[in-house]
Amino acid sequence: MRTITIALTKGRLAKKTLQLFDQIGIRAEGSTDDSTRKLIFENEDLAVRFFMAKGPDVPTYVAYGAADMGIVGRDTILEENRHLYEVLDLGYGKCRMCICGPESARKYLDSGEQIRVATKYPRIAKDYFLNRKHQTVEIVKLNGSIELAPIVGLSEVICDIVETGSTLRENGLQVLEEVCPISARVVVNQVSMKMENERISEIIRQLKEALENENN
Amino acid sequence: MKNLMIHTPEGIRDIYGGEAARKHALMSALYNIFMSYGYEEIETPIIEYFDVFSNEVGTTPSNELYKFFDRTGNTLVLRPDFTPSVARAVSMHFQKDRMPYRLCYEGKTFVNSAEYQGHLKESTQMGVELIGKSGAEADAEVLALTCDLLKAAGLSDFQVSVGQVDFFKALADDSGLTNEETEEIRQLISNKNFFGVEELLKDRKMYTEIKEGMTRLPQLFGGRDVLDEAEKYAINDRAAAALGNLREIDRILQEKGYGRYISYDFGSLSKYHYYTGIIFSAFTYGTGEAVAKGGRYDTLLTHFGTDAPAVGVGLYVDTLMNAISRQRVD
Repeated sequence: MRTITIALTKGRLAKKTLQLFDQIGIRAEGSTDDSTRKLIFENEDLAVRFFMAKGPDVPTYVAYGAADMGIVGRDTILEENRHLYEVLDLGYGKCRMCICGPESARKYLDSGEQIRVATKYPRIAKDYFLNRKHQTVEIVKLNGSIELAPIVGLSEVICDIVETGSTLRENGLQVLEEVCPISARVVVNQVSMKMENERISEIIRQLKEALENENN
Repeated sequence: MKNLMIHTPEGIRDIYGGEAARKHALMSALYNIFMSYGYEEIETPIIEYFDVFSNEVGTTPSNELYKFFDRTGNTLVLRPDFTPSVARAVSMHFQKDRMPYRLCYEGKTFVNSAEYQGHLKESTQMGVELIGKSGAEADAEVLALTCDLLKAAGLSDFQVSVGQVDFFKALADDSGLTNEETEEIRQLISNKNFFGVEELLKDRKMYTEIKEGMTRLPQLFGGRDVLDEAEKYAINDRAAAALGNLREIDRILQEKGYGRYISYDFGSLSKYHYYTGIIFSAFTYGTGEAVAKGGRYDTLLTHFGTDAPAVGVGLYVDTLMNAISRQRVD
């Protein structure tokens, strides 16, 4: 049997996902051990292995076929824009992609004038402003603490994921517009889906069932 | 960045030594299969007018074409794909009453795709076009040929996944969706994102069979039994005809002993809009992408002034080489 490789997004998402896989009987030794620094965990009997990667790299591993499946947030899927099958909404890791700023910045969004938008997600921001709002903007790519940008005057607004909104509030910002909802998704390589159809479809079916049981 | 003189641009490469020899051997093996099926060679130019690959023809997006101008200001492109070029050449030089024509080609294609996506910008394609013949028999011929090509390449474990774009178009016809919505659904289905389809259709008023059918399409793939399941969603004549076409193809290929290589996928819908009937991709281990793609394009030739049905396949020789070396096929 060929080994099916599953790429997980390091951190909270991986933890929750491993619990879910545990429920459907797919466990890999050591994977739930918090202190470990290992990146790959294998279950030889089931011919399944997991590895941990940075979020934006998960679609890359899956698109190249280095991983057959991946678990990753929808924000990353949209931003990376690779050719993948997006087969299941896991429903957790929920948050929203939003345009945020101080209340005073709302007028820039209504007037459609050229503004700067700071973001970790240039593709999503560009698509939203150009194709949905038809507003010309200058996108400024940042790598973290995006909330800083409007405060120190780098940009008028930001485009970022919002979970509870507390970081925004503490920094005097608020959600001005919502771009799209986000949650964790299962993605599958297009070749793997065909060549290992039965095993992958079975995993997806079981994950779906486990989620439904959890919600009831 | 100092030594630009000895480097090739991103996505463009030299091939030499053992790799060049292996590539040459592979291409001659494939060429022999073309000849054994009675295909004749055609050579089209690398440079074409932009119009041959324009939006109406429905091929590679304009922003992924290498474009430049001639002295009189016409836009020229490097061909991203052979099929429109061959269709143009056939319309120009060949007589309709002598059809069908069986043509094969080999050469470089150029797509200016995004950086770091792992795609070569210059790649070698080999393929055939069977022009002037409609129906399942012609479709099955090209599918059988595809299997024989992959076998000749030394592969034993591969799948040719066959879809029918007309089946989706038939459902879309009676769905009452606008063109934009249909395009959005097409994308969701082809990404197998059925919960996205569900979400989009949730509050729509349409026949239950169509709604169920569209939601089911992304998961409607696998062995021959999916043909039986698709029966449920064949709600109009067009859909029934599309399904009938697949059944006939299935019968011919089973008879000829190609059954084990063929699977079906109703959710496979190309971004090349010129496909009108079957559409297929060939997959194997060792590469994350299809090694061959093809399908029927009965309206493409009308763009060039000839009304003739056609079906064809193109092999991505570089991707195939990759798969072969990873599988260590001798």
